[in-house]
This record gives sequence, C-alpha cells and structure tokens, in this order.
Amino acid sequence: MKSGSKLERILASGHFAVTAELGPPKGPNLEVVERKMQLLTGVCDAINVTDNQTAIVRLSSVATCAILAQRGLEPVMQMTCRDRNRLAIQADVFGAVALGVRNLLCLTGDHQCFGNHPTAKNVYDLDSIQLIRMIARMRDEGRTEGGEEVDGAVPLFIGGAANPFGDPFEMRVIRLAKKVAAGVDFIQTQCIFDMARFKEWMKRVVDQGLHEKVYILAGIMPLKSAGAARYINSNVAGIYVPEPLVKRMAAAGRGKAAQAEGMKLAAETIQEVREIEGVRGVHIMAVEWEEAIRPIVEMAGLLPRPVVE
Amino acid sequence: MIVAKRKPLAEIAANLQKVNKLLIVGCNTCVAVCLAGGEKEVAVLASALRLALRQTNPTIQITQRCVERQCEEEFNEVLTEDVAACDVVLSMACGVGVQTMAEQFPDKIVYPALNTSFMGRPLERGVWSERCAGCGNCVLDKFGGVCPIARCSKNLLNGPCGGSANGKCEVDPENIDCAWQLIYDRLKRIGQLDRLLEIEPPKDWSTSRHGGPRKIVREDMVL
Amino acid sequence: MPERPKIVLIGCAHSAGVALEELKSGAQRLPAHVEWVSIPCGGTLDELHILRAFESGAEQVMVLACYDGACRSVEGNKWAEKRVSAARALLEEAGIAGWRLAFHHIAPSMPLDLLRWIEEFREPAVAQEQPESSDREAKA
Repeated sequence: MKSGSKLERILASGHFAVTAELGPPKGPNLEVVERKMQLLTGVCDAINVTDNQTAIVRLSSVATCAILAQRGLEPVMQMTCRDRNRLAIQADVFGAVALGVRNLLCLTGDHQCFGNHPTAKNVYDLDSIQLIRMIARMRDEGRTEGGEEVDGAVPLFIGGAANPFGDPFEMRVIRLAKKVAAGVDFIQTQCIFDMARFKEWMKRVVDQGLHEKVYILAGIMPLKSAGAARYINSNVAGIYVPEPLVKRMAAAGRGKAAQAEGMKLAAETIQEVREIEGVRGVHIMAVEWEEAIRPIVEMAGLLPRPVVE
Repeated sequence: MIVAKRKPLAEIAANLQKVNKLLIVGCNTCVAVCLAGGEKEVAVLASALRLALRQTNPTIQITQRCVERQCEEEFNEVLTEDVAACDVVLSMACGVGVQTMAEQFPDKIVYPALNTSFMGRPLERGVWSERCAGCGNCVLDKFGGVCPIARCSKNLLNGPCGGSANGKCEVDPENIDCAWQLIYDRLKRIGQLDRLLEIEPPKDWSTSRHGGPRKIVREDMVL
Repeated sequence: MPERPKIVLIGCAHSAGVALEELKSGAQRLPAHVEWVSIPCGGTLDELHILRAFESGAEQVMVLACYDGACRSVEGNKWAEKRVSAARALLEEAGIAGWRLAFHHIAPSMPLDLLRWIEEFREPAVAQEQPESSDREAKA
C-alpha cells in the first residue's frame, strides 16, 4: 500500500472503481459544497475536487477536500502547476495530508487565457511529470524537492491525467510511460467519445505492459444536449465528440429528454469500457451536473459501491 | 534579434501634449530590421505626431535623428547638443536603448515609442516570431534545437500537455505551433527520440530573470 | 459653387501619369483644387508621402497604381496598396478619417474614370445626401 487510501484499497482488491468530479463554487459558499457532497455520497469511491479548472477562480481544492475529509468522504485533490510554484505546492500538499487527504491528481493546468483572469501571470514552475516525481519522492524517500527531510509522512495515492485523443499521436503512450516512470499510481483519462481511438490507445498501453504498472480509469462525460457537444468541439481543447454522437443527441430533442439520452450514452460508454483490457474503473465528469452521476452509475449496474477494509 | 512594435499613436501623443521641442531618436540595429524604429519609422512618426497634435499642440517642434545602436553610449554621444536643446526625448529604440538614453542623459525626460516584446527571428517579410526567453541556461541540445522555454506556452520540459492538437497550441491555434510537436518531429528527424524518454528535472530558474536582474562580467575583458 | 477641398493625387507615372497626359491631349484638365504628384512606380510609395501631403494642407489624398499584372516592377502596385492601408490606419490614429485617403487601380486608358473618381471623392454620407448637387456641378 502506498497510501492506504480508500481508492487505493478498492483498486488493489480488484473492484472496478468509480470516481466522480465535484466542482467547487466561485466563492466560499459552503451550501453549494454541502449540496454536491450529498449528491455524490454513496455513488462513487472517491471524489475529485477540481483546482481552478479552466483557470476560473473557485474555492480552493485543498479547502474543499478538507471539508470532504471531515465528512468521511474520500477526496482526490487535484493540483495544477499553473498557479503555484514548488514551494506553494509542497506546502499545500503538507496541508492537505494534515487535513486528511490521501489522493492527489497531478495536472499541468489549462492556460490562464481560458479563464476569468486572463491578464494574470502564470507559474508553471513544474510540469505534471516533475510534480508526480516530486510527490512520489516526498512519500517514498521523505525528502522535499530541495533535499531536506520532510517532518512527517506523506501517504498519498498519486494520480495523473492522460489524453488518448490529443498529443502528437506517437507521443501518447510515451507520455503515459513517463508518468509511470515518475511514480504515478493511477491515471484518469480525458473524456471518451471516440471509442475506436480509445481502444487503439489501450491496446498500445497493454502491449507495453503499462496497464500492470498503473491503474487506468476511463474518463466519462455525460452530454446534456447536442448543443453541449458542439460547444465542446468548438471550445474545449483535447476533447472531441464525433458527429454520430452529436446526431444521436440531436435526435433525442431538448431539455430533460436530451439529458436522459446523455446519461444513457454515458452509462453505455461505461459498460463498453469495462470490457476493455487494462481499464480498472471510470472517472465521471459531469460539469455543474453532479445530479447526473447517481443515475448514470445506477444504469451502468455499478451500485451499490463496494466496501473495503 | 530584439523585436518591437510601435505603441499606439494616442498613447505616444498623450505624453506630448505640452511639449515644445521634441527630439525623436531612432536606432539602426534591431528595431530598424523589424521595421519599428529605424530612420524611416522616425520620419513617419514625426509626421503622424504633427498631424495628431495639430489641434492641441500645433506649435510642437520635432527634430528627427537616428543612431547606429542606441544601447551603446559611444553612438549616442553625437546627440549631446540635440538632447540639450530639446524638452523631451522620444526614443524609438528597444527598451534597452530607451534606458541607455535615460542613463546617459539623466536630466532629460525620455519616453519610449515602442513596445519591446521578445528575442526572435523573421519568418518572412513583416513576420517575426519569438525564439529565446533568455533563461540563462540553454538546453537546446536536449530538444533538437527547439526551445521549450520560449516556444511552449507553459514552458514544459516534459511536454506536451493535453491541449496540443493538430500540431497547434491551445492558447492560440492560429499563431502558435505546439513546441512539443516541433520537438518530437525534430528529434525524430535527427534520430534522438530516446531523449524524450528521459524525465527532465525541474528547471533551475535562478539563472533566469526570476533570479533577479542579471549582469555578465567578463573579468578577462575588464581592464 | 461650394468650395472644393484640396485633393492631392499621388500616381504611378506608367498608369496614372499616362492617363493624365491623355486628359491634357483631350484639352481637359484636372480641377483646380487637385494637385498632381508623380512617382516612378507604386513600389516607391512610402507612408511618408501620404502623411506629408496631409501635413502640407491636403484634405484628401488619392493614390493611383497599376492593375495587377500590369506593374512593370511586378508587385509595385500591391506594395502601394499595402502602404495606403498602413497610412490609413495611422491617419485614423491621428484623428483623420480614413475615407480621406483613397486608392484606385488605374490603366493609361482611363482618364475619364480618373475625373469621375475625383468628383465622387467625398465623405460617404454626404455623397448619398446630395445627389442633385453633383448633377448641377456637372452641367455648370
């Protein structure tokens, strides 16, 4: 056991894991956090809390994760390299661990031009691979990036992201291999809509034996409507919804009918990825739509969630 | 070379509303090459300023000069009388030239006419692109001659990030190539792809501007 | 008759210059308020020529260069058009309306077009409001 976190124990005991995303509010509004926590309780094994996602300022991940931990929920703290240098990152990691966080997802972070403070300076003192390695060393060797001894233990289950759809194609598996070499324990992929491409990527991952060195969770995003799909295609880097799926959503109509179709599609996607060798779970990203997670997990036949010692 | 572009005319004119005698000084090195502050540009700016100020400051007198390289005091010496005779110096050099003038003639007001942007190269006539960020510790040997610090929007050393698509950077897909696509392509061409398997450690930023303003002293050259 | 603003023509000698000669040989002339400046080729045009024209009292400037394919320096006419765009932007920054700078492609055989362009060279809204007055001036 690297961290003893609940997510690690679920994966280590062979269960198909389910993680979901919680987006904090644009201010210290604890009611929003409370509502979302309730929506996600009992529906997944761990809850990712985003870190100024898309460079939009929100209640910090470390603070929100602390609230989740206090409640007995299992947070996965997301941390990007955009807003903090190695000093602040290490300090926040110490803080997170002290407050009960045991899972950390290491990300590069969207450029600030996409968010609500486009004139800010960015940091990017480290990249995601250096971050993974730094945290792994803190945990396994008890040393900071500067070389000093860490006063206390840092039992963290270390995660990273993977994008089977972006990148120079040839680099996709190289990057995963590098993250594994840096010490990553689990991966959450970018949202899967192009199933063929995902299967191709997984095949290469398995060919290289990487699926045995890291737990891979497939990214799932439910679509609210055809319009949402088209918005993603035009505006969100790294995700692409193929035309047949856009048409399927369009055929479903609008409002509740479209949402129902989107959730059904997500559940089908989950069932399909479960059959792929090397996939050890799913990570569901329902942006500002946490209500969708329970129905999706239920439709996919993944409730109730297992209990582990 | 250093690449700069003229400031909006209104911004330049705003500082000159009450100025009687203006001296515009251009530079024949970098800013002449990037068509921003050479002799021609000085003449055009003088004319444009007279037109812009025709109602609010119609009696402004503008003297036009251009020196070889405004960052070296020896070249600026020839301006001594003109500088003494004017109220304000408007420098069309890069930020270095502007500051040299201010240091060389510390009792004179010196204003910049350009926005100095980056160290880069021309791609075609009228187009210049950033290439070097002056990090103080060149690692171009590791990345096939493509600089990840200057050319990657996130200065990643183990790129690319998830926002690389079709060889372009998510920050500005029309204008910015993904540096890591370029690095990959180059390393492949020169047979050094295995470099990409190595994890590049966190950068020592202390040699860059982050460590403070820098100075290089060649003791062997100082008498 | 309302007083006409001073217009400066800056024209390529090979096209505009020849058209002007055509005009003179037909016993016509440029209107009194129009001044003619000849340049050897559109490729020699600089923003400075245009700005200096405005500085010297011109209220409107018209640049004339060859059609694509007709320029002896191959791309001189394209260069001239680019310089006109750049100058127009600079003029706008200086508070001089962009319509006051015009650009036309011209061939040697087009002296009458030249006269018409000069006649029609006015602020866009004004041209629409007073169609009758231009008829009157033509008759007079």
